[in-house]
Amino acid sequence: MTLQEAKIGSTYTVSSLSLDMVTKRRLEALGLTRGTNINILNRSRSGAVILMVRGSRLALGGRIAETIHMKEAS
Amino acid sequence: MKSEIQVGFVGNPNCGKTTLFNAYTGANLKVANWPGVTVEKKEGAFKYHDHRFKLVDLPGIYSLTSYTMEERLTREYILDSNVDVIVNIVDASSLERNLYLTLQLIELGKPVVLALNMMDIVEERGMEIDLHRLPEMLGIPVIPVSARKKTGLDILMHTVSHHRDKKLDHNLEHHHDRTINKHTNHSKDQGDYKHKHEHHNEYTIVYSDDIEDKIDEVSELLRKDYGEVDNLRWHAIKLMEMDEAVMRKYPIDLTKVIKHSYEGDIINQKYDFIEEIIEEVLVNKHKKAASTDKIDRILTHRFLGLPIFLGIMALVFFFTFQIGDFIKGFFEIGIGAFSEGTLYLLEHIHAGYFITSLIVDGIIAGVGGILTFLPNIFILFLALAYLEDSGYMARVAYVMDGIMGKLGLSGRAFIPMLLGFGCTVPAIMASRSLENMRDRRKTILITPFMSCSARLPIYVLFSQMFFGRNAMLVAYSMYLIGILVAILVAFAMRNKSDQSVGNTLLIELPEYKTPNLRTIFIYVWEKVKEYLTKAGTTIFAASVVIWFILNFGPHGMISDMSDSFGAMIGRVIAPVLMIGRVIAPVLKPAGLDMWQVVVALISGIAAKEVVVSSFSVLFQIGNITSPQGMASLSEILVGYGFGALNAYALMAFSLLYIPCAATIGVIQREMRSAKWTIFTIFFQLAVALLVSTLIYNKKGMVSIMAGIILGILIVGYTGFVIYKKSKDVKAGKSCCGGCSSCASKGQCGKV
Repeated sequence: MTLQEAKIGSTYTVSSLSLDMVTKRRLEALGLTRGTNINILNRSRSGAVILMVRGSRLALGGRIAETIHMKEAS
Repeated sequence: MKSEIQVGFVGNPNCGKTTLFNAYTGANLKVANWPGVTVEKKEGAFKYHDHRFKLVDLPGIYSLTSYTMEERLTREYILDSNVDVIVNIVDASSLERNLYLTLQLIELGKPVVLALNMMDIVEERGMEIDLHRLPEMLGIPVIPVSARKKTGLDILMHTVSHHRDKKLDHNLEHHHDRTINKHTNHSKDQGDYKHKHEHHNEYTIVYSDDIEDKIDEVSELLRKDYGEVDNLRWHAIKLMEMDEAVMRKYPIDLTKVIKHSYEGDIINQKYDFIEEIIEEVLVNKHKKAASTDKIDRILTHRFLGLPIFLGIMALVFFFTFQIGDFIKGFFEIGIGAFSEGTLYLLEHIHAGYFITSLIVDGIIAGVGGILTFLPNIFILFLALAYLEDSGYMARVAYVMDGIMGKLGLSGRAFIPMLLGFGCTVPAIMASRSLENMRDRRKTILITPFMSCSARLPIYVLFSQMFFGRNAMLVAYSMYLIGILVAILVAFAMRNKSDQSVGNTLLIELPEYKTPNLRTIFIYVWEKVKEYLTKAGTTIFAASVVIWFILNFGPHGMISDMSDSFGAMIGRVIAPVLMIGRVIAPVLKPAGLDMWQVVVALISGIAAKEVVVSSFSVLFQIGNITSPQGMASLSEILVGYGFGALNAYALMAFSLLYIPCAATIGVIQREMRSAKWTIFTIFFQLAVALLVSTLIYNKKGMVSIMAGIILGILIVGYTGFVIYKKSKDVKAGKSCCGGCSSCASKGQCGKV
């Protein structure tokens, strides 16, 4: 599933980021790497998502959210 | 041993870096730009014990790649300048993410001291950090500080002075079990790496054995070609990441050694090591930041978020106008008394007409009128600083992402627009945080339409003169027109065929905090200082120039202004500016065909406030913002047939037309394209003409005028797009940074 379909309040594990290189590197620098656990905090009507990753909050627009694939955290 | 120690402050955005910097230097700092770029460079100096410290505040960054200007700049500063010690400020409440930068700084090879900030938040949440184990694992000193409470400051500088020559402590102790187990291939023939590496007592970050193999091989090649390069290991790692800047500096053929960029693996392994650190040093890590989540539940609410934001902005402008105007009254009394006192004094010493006129009608009338707006500007900047320092500004980007997405922009583009209410210059600089070049260009084009504080004096003066009790409403409407025009322009420029635009927000939401008074004070003081400097330089000079061209004509000093240079210039330019009159004589012009208005508007390009000071010099009104001053000015204007509608058209024109000289300068520096800058200027002029004509001409000819100007705009814009496309094609395979639609995306970074 992608970040766009995630349930608010649930925790997931990132499995892949299918983004252009620069955005991908920026996300990785912010801690959103493959295998990281993320916790979904909020989603706006336009599809932007607020999530918690490695102790910090990120807001991601819908177009970025739909390229982040993940599975439910074990 | 030299006695001055140069210290660079490096840290993530929102880690409290600036607060800590201010705690050492106070308002006593030097702000300039880094050479060649518009990134701010802050420097401060102070003495502690026997040492003189020179502090440099570097831009807030998350990483040390060469993707952004800020990151490149920080890296070059650390590598090339003679900085002695790097102080890495780390937000302890977000240790995991912050340590990523720390590891990169350590790898750079200069002495690093870690300042662990915001320990109070960590304690509040019931977490603990093992301050013995953390320095052991990193190999650098770790000093807990509180930038807000000003604790730990002396110890930090003490450590800095002792650590200036040491790169790593001797007691480095860690194993990288996680990295080694996860990434090294321990399969039967051990095909993936040549031998085991034991660097744990040597380097802070040790990679999996296969990567360590490559580092050794690349280092060997680098040494063969370039001899003993400073910090060979770091350069080898960067070459393996195919870092553009390092590959340009040390071009060597690595095709035999590495087949692909190792950047992804290197990032992942750094984070693996960080996880190992966090596991060992952070106790009770699962406690949540309850208060921020609670506030966010309301402020970023699906439905309430937007109305709350609009309410906050309404409040900001209410304070700016109502309370600002109240205080402004006292300033007017002060300036009025000063002007009269000076007049009396000059007459008393028989200074003569020339000097008296220059000082009273030129300088005091021009500069004084502007100074009375200081309270409004002070309150506006105070509010903006409060919004930013509290952590709310980033939420605005999230709340606005939906609307901005419809305009083909990221929600983040709204931050420069919001800052544009204060001053367009820093707002345009703030657009740099937008990764996408097209987003930036669009944001830079529409940000000047956001009404900056320099335009506020124009609204206050004309709305109070012509609209009486509705003055505030009229002033508000200017802000609305500005926002509306910005939205329409962005909407018109939206490229429907390209699906990659919009909703590409990427921003960190910091924890909410009570804004630090000192930080806010210093920020506002900087702005007030800038305003006063502008009043003392640009506005002063403009006032003198205007006084001169109005009081002198071809035959020397004159008494009738309509014979002056100013009137001549105005008469020549007025018909040119009134395109409407030239194109179709039937059209009523935008109602701005008085030569005095034209002169005032042209002088306003120096700085928008000058429009007001020009009016006071033009019509020889000493205390223009006082009730008496306004009464006499409106009487004169009405005598010329300049009524409320003209005033409204003038305000709209002032809002939208050519930005001030400082803004033009910053647009040119940011875009590095004279063509684009010139396009922006003419574009804004055309929009201003269109809107003010629409306002002045209620019906009939409006559509014709609109059609003509729109036509010019469309032709101009199409031309620009074609020019742009041809340029992009010429640029070929270069790595432009971020256009996912780019045809040469596949080649990006591989050239």
